[in-house]
Amino acid sequence: MLRSRKRAASLALFLVLSLVLAACSAHGGKKAAQAGNNVVAGHANTKHFTVAMITHASAGDTFWDKIRNGATAAASKDNVTLKYSNNDDPTKQAALITAAVNSKVDGIAVTDPNPGALCPTIKQAVAAGIPVVMFNAGSGNWQQCGGMAYFGQDETIAGIAAGQRMAKAGDKHVLCVIQTQGQIQLEQRCAGVKQGFGSAGTVTKVYVNGTDNSAVLSSLTAKLTQDKSIDAVITLGATYALIALQAEGTTHSTAKVYTFDTNAESIAKIKSGAIQWAVDQQPFLQGYLSVDSLWLYLVNGNIIGGGKTTLDRPVVHRLHQRRQDRAVRSGG
Amino acid sequence: MSTPQETPAGKHRASQDAPPAGNGRGGVPLVRLVHAGKRYGAVIALQDINLEVGSGEVTCVLGDNGAGKSTLIKIIAGLHQPSSGTYEVEGTPVHFSSPREALERGIATVYQDLAVVPLMPVWRNFFLGNEIRKGPGIDIPAMKKMCKEELMAMGIDLRDVDQPIGTLSGGERQCVAISRAVHFGAKVLILDEPTAALGVKQSGVVLKYIIQARERGLGVVFITHNPHHAYPVGDRFLLLNRGASIGYYEKNQVTRDELTGLMAGGAELEQLSHELESAGGAAAEIGRSLEEDVEELGIAHEPTTTTESDAR
Amino acid sequence: MTQTAEAPVAPPPRSDERLGRKSPMARLLARPEAGAIAGAIVIYIFFFIVAPPFRNASSFASVLYVTSTYGLMATPVALLMIGGEFDLSAGVSVTSSALCASLFAYEFTTNAWVGVLVALGLSLLIGFINGWIVVKTGIPSFLVTLGTFFMLQGINIALTQTITNQVSSPDISTLDGFNSAQKVFSATWTVGGVNIRTSIFYWIVFVIIATWILLRTRVGNWIFAAGGNPVSARAVGVPVARVKIGLFMAVGFMAWFVGMHTLFLFNTIQSAQGIGNEFVYIIAAVVGGCLLTGGYGSAVGAAIGALIFGMVNQGIVYAGWNPNWFQFFVGALLLGAILLNTYIRRRAEASI
Repeated sequence: MLRSRKRAASLALFLVLSLVLAACSAHGGKKAAQAGNNVVAGHANTKHFTVAMITHASAGDTFWDKIRNGATAAASKDNVTLKYSNNDDPTKQAALITAAVNSKVDGIAVTDPNPGALCPTIKQAVAAGIPVVMFNAGSGNWQQCGGMAYFGQDETIAGIAAGQRMAKAGDKHVLCVIQTQGQIQLEQRCAGVKQGFGSAGTVTKVYVNGTDNSAVLSSLTAKLTQDKSIDAVITLGATYALIALQAEGTTHSTAKVYTFDTNAESIAKIKSGAIQWAVDQQPFLQGYLSVDSLWLYLVNGNIIGGGKTTLDRPVVHRLHQRRQDRAVRSGG
Repeated sequence: MSTPQETPAGKHRASQDAPPAGNGRGGVPLVRLVHAGKRYGAVIALQDINLEVGSGEVTCVLGDNGAGKSTLIKIIAGLHQPSSGTYEVEGTPVHFSSPREALERGIATVYQDLAVVPLMPVWRNFFLGNEIRKGPGIDIPAMKKMCKEELMAMGIDLRDVDQPIGTLSGGERQCVAISRAVHFGAKVLILDEPTAALGVKQSGVVLKYIIQARERGLGVVFITHNPHHAYPVGDRFLLLNRGASIGYYEKNQVTRDELTGLMAGGAELEQLSHELESAGGAAAEIGRSLEEDVEELGIAHEPTTTTESDAR
Repeated sequence: MTQTAEAPVAPPPRSDERLGRKSPMARLLARPEAGAIAGAIVIYIFFFIVAPPFRNASSFASVLYVTSTYGLMATPVALLMIGGEFDLSAGVSVTSSALCASLFAYEFTTNAWVGVLVALGLSLLIGFINGWIVVKTGIPSFLVTLGTFFMLQGINIALTQTITNQVSSPDISTLDGFNSAQKVFSATWTVGGVNIRTSIFYWIVFVIIATWILLRTRVGNWIFAAGGNPVSARAVGVPVARVKIGLFMAVGFMAWFVGMHTLFLFNTIQSAQGIGNEFVYIIAAVVGGCLLTGGYGSAVGAAIGALIFGMVNQGIVYAGWNPNWFQFFVGALLLGAILLNTYIRRRAEASI
């Protein structure tokens, strides 16, 4: 009796162990990703400051992860506590800025996709004696809003460059995919593309629901089916480029895919030629510089940029860009 | 409104003790309550109730609204447990924790709102909770056929057993509910005011079914506030008022008029007699003779509310 | 009045003059799906005329795919509505399930199927909790699941961010088991040159199963009763509480299935996904003939409701219109469907 119970127990244990071992994956996963990848540069022993970063990221927009990673890296180096908050509704974003002012932070880094709504609040922050730097959106009039520096790409310039390249490649009908409505920097990109594309053909805009992959897929599938003359698709986020590729698979479309911004998966697609190229604005750098510049100002009175936009120079990824690959994979 | 209630011990012709077991047509009573009571916190809904019904018998529970009839039904149906006293089924004490347990012991209740689902077809309602299984599913043709046959056997010729039961008339719905209970092997049928909302002819039909059920050997607990319906079919009568029993009679112990009178205005007459007596003189004479009549009829301690109307 | 005891005599069989001849048309119109079928035909013809790309087979495959993504969830949501309850957390719990599978497998570097199993457990648990709270407290399911909806919405985003520092789940395509899971949950078959996603077949199968359960089993009878009159149902011995909890868990199961399909199709899940879909499921069920008060409806009807959705969703783009009109269409559809259903039901009853 006792022996068979012991045997049953050890059999059960053996089964559980083998299941557990089988359950482990030999590839991929967190273990693989943890093979060295953080940008850490030590730790300053300057006075402790608090910086609030307020963006217009919509809940679940992955692009902002990179900006946040850059900001976090700078904050940890500079002995700065970073308070990050976001809302894609301008009135709510303004309320977040006011909240930061009321909690008497030492510096504010903010994006401005809607100058009409946000400028007055930003000016109030400056009037309260808090230095403000701006980044990523609002390149047009950040000085009037009272910002000290601006880090970002000039969306229009980047768009024009992209449009020109596509025209040179011989494309005739471009579909510009916008993942959120009402955001000025996205509109500027497509407007720039249209300007740069010029007389080479037509540029059509399509809006998709960026937080829902299935909805994006079905919208793009339908659009590519409805208009067979589309021979180029440019998306404003790497995730959407990947979905565009899936949509092309379903509809047997041969349109070329280009994109703004990258992630690890899209780099792989660029290497394989599925995506032609990507215009990357180095979001990690934007986040990093925003926090670091505030630290420099607070510690040493320095201002970066001399009143002009500090462009993070659009980087165009093509095949065989190994150094940029590493940067992208580490979250930059 | 009425005189304060004294314990009605010994004031009535009928015995207040539980009648000896085995009364009626012989055998152990199917359902028996002995000194049963129910409290909700400080509220005494029922106290010291004795009731029994045997196979082939009809026990009528009479009383006006607020008398405690619904609490009594819920106890017998298994929805509530009595706070005091015992509840026996076929001689053994029981404690039902759900209506399903009572159903399994053969105690079926047909409620005032009939426990039917209005939007579902008649046959689905008929077999609700007792569906005929066939493999992993249910045998629909058999159920439809049996439903139609059962109803026909009770004299209901339905247009279509597929129609939603909500489209049937009140009397037809009552009959479906009763025949459902009878069909599924109920030993005791508890009918909660089945004739309350019906017209004269339909009430007659329901009373006919009660008698048929009795003939088939069921025990029937017939709750009503209409003594004219109760008297023809009942073998025993329990009168409730304000949660207490004010009379528990065999049929041979009470006439229909007495029953009606008991439910009518005994307490008012008694109060009147006291007032007349206290007035003195000729009025006191009248009062005294009135009091004697009331005593003779045994209808003291009764509230004055309307009893005989079908209206609610 | 005494009655002699006699066996009840069955009346002689005769044709019932009260029973008029019910034409097949009237019988069809009396079904809960009647309005949905009529609406689907109208909308199909409409887009057929107005949108040329709508007409070919591969576009219709795309329509069916969108339909299946809504239809899969609409099926148990419809059953739940027939059972008398709502689940407003249905949309986000799909995302919760997908995130759970992805994050678990990634963080512990396990086989993808382990994540799939863990997610199943989570989804069934969410369903159970929803059902249990509704049944035990008696609070309307609308409110209970509204609470779960907000909680899951927050958990999805916050937990993802805490664990991975991102708002979308990580890349799990390199994990063992990913490819086999993909084949099971989100494969595509090519039939006659047309790409058909397997979720369409799964959807049809689940609708058939749900219809069979509803119309041909005991549990189906109990579902109708639990929704139509739970007090009566309980009084005749139907286990209403267990039925309702079971229905909530069925919604949980389907949230898992659709979550797995989405996960293995897109590899990464955006943690804010799914919000708003719960209303689409309910609308599909209502269009399909389910009463908001419960006790009446059909799974086939909800499937047709989802089909109407799919046709409108894609048809608008095929027709070249501004896709924002989709929102307007959804609202107009809901109102129109309810009016149509009510009208048809009244006419069907009047013609008896």
